[in-house]
Amino acid sequence: MATEIELKSLFEKQLKEKLSALESTRKGILRRHLLTFALLAVLGAGNFFLISLNPHEALIIVSVLISVALLIYFIYQTSKKKKKYREKFKSDVVAEVVKLINPDWKYLYDYCMSQESYKQSGLFPHHYDRYNGDDFVTGQIDQTDFQFSELHTQYKQVTYGPKGQRHENWITIFRGLFIHADFNKNFAGSTFVLPDTAERLLGALGQSLQKFSSRGDLVKLENPEFEKLFVVYSSDQVEARYILTPSMMEAMVNLYRRFDGEIYFSFVGSRVYFANSFNVALFEPNIFRSGVNFSDIKEMFDLFGMTSVLIQELNLNTRIWTKK
Amino acid sequence: MSTTLILVIVIAILLLVTISVFNSLTNKKNQVTNAFGSVDVQLKNRYDLIPNLVATVQQYAAHEKELLTKITDLRTKALQPNITSEDRVNLDNQISSALSGLMVAVENYPDLKASQNFIDLQRSLNEVESQIAAARRAYNAAVTDYNNAIEMFPGNLMAGMMLLKIRQVFTATETERGSVNVKDLFKS
Repeated sequence: MATEIELKSLFEKQLKEKLSALESTRKGILRRHLLTFALLAVLGAGNFFLISLNPHEALIIVSVLISVALLIYFIYQTSKKKKKYREKFKSDVVAEVVKLINPDWKYLYDYCMSQESYKQSGLFPHHYDRYNGDDFVTGQIDQTDFQFSELHTQYKQVTYGPKGQRHENWITIFRGLFIHADFNKNFAGSTFVLPDTAERLLGALGQSLQKFSSRGDLVKLENPEFEKLFVVYSSDQVEARYILTPSMMEAMVNLYRRFDGEIYFSFVGSRVYFANSFNVALFEPNIFRSGVNFSDIKEMFDLFGMTSVLIQELNLNTRIWTKK
Repeated sequence: MSTTLILVIVIAILLLVTISVFNSLTNKKNQVTNAFGSVDVQLKNRYDLIPNLVATVQQYAAHEKELLTKITDLRTKALQPNITSEDRVNLDNQISSALSGLMVAVENYPDLKASQNFIDLQRSLNEVESQIAAARRAYNAAVTDYNNAIEMFPGNLMAGMMLLKIRQVFTATETERGSVNVKDLFKS
C-alpha cells in the first residue's frame, strides 16, 4: 500500500503537470457553460422582441425553431467536450493514483460492478430501472481477490397528479461504493449485516418489529455496540456466528466509525459484499474550480484504499481454516 | 345481551393470548433443543478428525504416545451411546485441553509441522473449533431467549403450568478460565 508521502511525490512529479495541462480544457468548458446561458438569454430576449413586433406567424415559428436548434447544437458540443475532458482526467490522473496504490490492479473507468454481483449480494433487493456506475478496479491483496466500483441504482416511480398529469420520479436505491472480495471461510448460506435503523429509532420495540424479514432469521449477537448499529439476518444461526466472530463484530464497529455514510455487509457464496453509501458522485473532475488540487487527489486515494482497509480490518488474509 | 357478548369476546381474547404464549414458549424450548443438537453435530465432527490426527502425529512424534493414547481413549468414551449430557460436556472439555496440549507438543517436531497432511488437518481442526464456538454461541442465544420468555410476564404464568425450567448457558470451566500454565502443557 502506498503512503501519503509517495502520493504527494507522485502529485508533485507527475500529476500536477497533467492537471495543469487539462486546465485549459476545463476553463474552455466552463466558458462554454456560461456562453450557453448567455445564448439562452439572448435568443430568448430576441424571440420575445420578435413576437412583440407581431409579424407573420411563420416567421415566429422559423425563428423559434432556429433558436432551439442552435441551443441544442451548442449544448451537444459542450457535452462532447466535457466527456472528453472527463475521460482524459480519468485515464491520465485517476489511473496513475490506482497504479501507485498497486501496479497490478486493473482500473477501468467506464466499467462498473456487474449486475450479477449486485444481485447476488442481496443487499438491495428492490427492482431497479437504472443501473449505472464507473471507476471499476479489480485486483488482489495477498490471498484475497476483490472487485470495486462506484454504483448508482434507481427505480422509476410514476405518480398521477390531481388533474391526471403523469409525474415520473427517479428514486435512488443505492449510490456509493460497492466492493466484493473472497472471504476466508467456506459457508453455505447467506448472512446479512445491515444498518439497524429500526433499533436506532425505536429501541427494543424496533427489535421485535425486525423479526419479520424475507432475508432469513433474525440473529441476536452478544456485542452490544454492534447490536445497536447493525441488524443481522441469516439462513442459519450457527453459520452466522461462525462468520460473525467477536473480533469480526468489533471490526465492523470500527469500520462504521471510520467511514461516512451507511455501511452494509452480506456474506453469500463464500464471498463478502460491502457497500458504503455516498450522496455525491465520486472520482469526477470538478469543472468549477482549479483541478490542480492535492486534496482532491488525496480523497480519491483514500477512497480507492477503502478496499485495503476493509480486507485488513476483516482479517481476510488470515487463512487458517479449510479455505486457502 | 351486550354483557354476554362482551364476556364472550373477552374469553376469546384470553384464549387467543394463552394459545399464542403457549406456542411461543414451545417454540423457544424446541429452539434450545435444536441448538444443543447443533453443538453435538460439531463435536462429532471433532471426534471424527481425531483418528486421522493421531495416526499422522504418531508417524513423526513417537514420543508423544502417552498423550495420543489419552486422546484416543477420551474419544472412545465420548462416543459411547449411554453417557449423560453432563459427562459428555466433561469429556469434551478434557478432549479440548488434551488437543491444545498436543498442538503445543507438536512444536518440537518440525518435520511433522511441515507435512502437508498435518497442515490440512490443522486447518480442519481450526474450522471445527470455530464451528463449535459458533454452535455454543447459538445455543447460549437460544437459552437466553428461552429463559427471558419463561421469566418475563406473561410467559412466567404459563411456564409453571408447562413445567418449564430455566436452563444454563455454556460457560468456560474453572480450569479453562484460569490462565494457561505453559509449563504444565509441556509436561503432557
